[in-house]
Amino acid sequence: MTRLGRLLEKPWIWSFAGALLVWLAAIAFTRGYGAGGMVTAALSLAVFTVIVGIGQMFVITLGPGNVDLSLPASIGLASAVAMKVMGGNDAMVVVGLLAALGSGFLVGSFNYFLIRALRIPPIIATLSASFIIQSVDISYGRGLQIKPPPGFADFTNLQVLGIPVLAILTVLFALGAAVLLQRTIYGRQVLAIGQNIRAAGLAGVPVGRVRYLTYALCGTLGGLTGALLAGYFRGANVDIGNEYLLTSIAVVVIGGTSVAGGKANVPGIWGAALFLVLLLTMLNTFGVSAGVRLLLTGLIIVGVITAAGGPKSAR
Amino acid sequence: MKKSLVLSALAVILVSSTAYADTSGMRIAFSNNYAGNSWRQAMLKSYAAVTEKAVKDGIVAAADIFTTADKEVPTQAAQIQNLILQGYNAIVINAGSPDALNGAVKQACDAGIVVVSFDGIVTEPCAYRVVVDFKSMGLEEVEQMAKFQPKGGNLLEIRGLAGTSIDEAIHQGILDGVAKHPEFKIVGSVTGDWDQTTAQKAVATILPSLPDVVGIVDQGGDGYGAAQAFAAAGKPRPTIIMGNRQDELQWWKEQKAKDGYQTWSASIAPGVSSLAFWVAQQVLDGRTDIPHDLLVPYLAFTQDDFETVLPTIETGSVASHEYTQEESLAAIKANM
Repeated sequence: MTRLGRLLEKPWIWSFAGALLVWLAAIAFTRGYGAGGMVTAALSLAVFTVIVGIGQMFVITLGPGNVDLSLPASIGLASAVAMKVMGGNDAMVVVGLLAALGSGFLVGSFNYFLIRALRIPPIIATLSASFIIQSVDISYGRGLQIKPPPGFADFTNLQVLGIPVLAILTVLFALGAAVLLQRTIYGRQVLAIGQNIRAAGLAGVPVGRVRYLTYALCGTLGGLTGALLAGYFRGANVDIGNEYLLTSIAVVVIGGTSVAGGKANVPGIWGAALFLVLLLTMLNTFGVSAGVRLLLTGLIIVGVITAAGGPKSAR
Repeated sequence: MKKSLVLSALAVILVSSTAYADTSGMRIAFSNNYAGNSWRQAMLKSYAAVTEKAVKDGIVAAADIFTTADKEVPTQAAQIQNLILQGYNAIVINAGSPDALNGAVKQACDAGIVVVSFDGIVTEPCAYRVVVDFKSMGLEEVEQMAKFQPKGGNLLEIRGLAGTSIDEAIHQGILDGVAKHPEFKIVGSVTGDWDQTTAQKAVATILPSLPDVVGIVDQGGDGYGAAQAFAAAGKPRPTIIMGNRQDELQWWKEQKAKDGYQTWSASIAPGVSSLAFWVAQQVLDGRTDIPHDLLVPYLAFTQDDFETVLPTIETGSVASHEYTQEESLAAIKANM
């Protein structure tokens, strides 16, 4: 009982509960048909949200006002950079991945330059950066779908016993991110800045450097996602990251990370990402129209956030 | 009788030969609200190719292209107001909204400017609309499906951007087709937004719950993504109607080479932008008999001819057809 009680106190439990619930609702509708396939599809699609979500989580944890709105544009650009560098050649996959990471890293650095040197609030800085990045992407990629090399495309689809390899790697990556957040000096400094930036500065935390590293990390993860998306969806394009503007923030919040900063948790990102994909699965399975689907998605997200926030405010 | 025929033919020749001179000093602007996908890029390329030649041939004085930085409607409205002030004689529009630009379009009409919209059309009555017959395209998809799957079976439908007239028209055509061919049943419907990534994701989420599907009826730009989703889930490949994209036709070619895979491909040609240009030029030329709503055919490819067009499409782009002035006159005539 106390163990269950402790489990219920975890802020991330609600996102997993939500994911389980919508999955059960979907398979109740099909009378159990396709239950395994749904999980496989959800794992494959959640991977991308998890990676950008973790980047966004670090940024949001820096405290009020910190958010990276340039992620969609950065993902689009990195997808084009990766596919162009790879040029359909399997030998160039590693170089292409590094180029995508580099592209994301530069975007993240540029964001912080705007925030720090020009003293622009992060919301405005990253949003205006995204316009610049998108224009660069349109002239660089000419709006064409550039295909990935076959080996890289196959890798993004690889499955072991119905579990996508990419999902397994992303679980390991999330574990690494959790260690980075909770067990390293850098992670502790991010949390300290999020709790009180002045106090952190007075306590000797190198505020500027930590914030820069965090924006650069978020950008780099966006770059990685861009390359992986282009592999999985068989082609780079400008709009490939569009949906991650909302979902990267939604998974952070649904996952139980505090929007006010200073409090973060990684497992919740996985739960929330699975929840969002399974929600789409459920609504598609029910066969509701596009308008109703958007309406229900909004209502259910509000519902889950309220449920997850309930016990916290009581404390 | 014979004489009057000759005379009238002569009159037609006289009128059409003066046609070139009349617009030679006129300037036509193109207001476009988005350039970020392959279809839009092909649209701009077709338009530029046709209009550059028209300017060189002295048919019009200038044909400038303006694309707004974002997809926002207010930006495009402001852009149209600027074009009015700059004194263009005609504005060709691919509009971000069917009705939100009507105010700006009305201002242009009141200033004596000819407005021709296409693809993203405007509902303002004073403007011209070049519309592709999407409903018959949807109907034809099911007709073609009946040829490839004579026994019938379950269909999956992929819809386009919700709330657009194009999505509604194609969907209606498909419903009409299924009503005509009761051997088919639509067992699932997802939203693909004419986008490969969105379509693949949507199909991947609905696929586990679907019974066996013999065919996919869609709206173009979504066929390749659907094929990938079926492959990823390890499900047998259905007959997927294609939408003239290079990657779709390439995939079709590979499947055909493997086991004689058969399907059909149709979409709106991005080059319809050049038709809109010629309509503007003709109206400026003084023609008053052109209907404000012009229905033009879609561009389709079959098992026999898609491989001849495939090498001409740039990698990652979409099949297009650029209208010459003569073809445009014929297309206009077909509506009268």
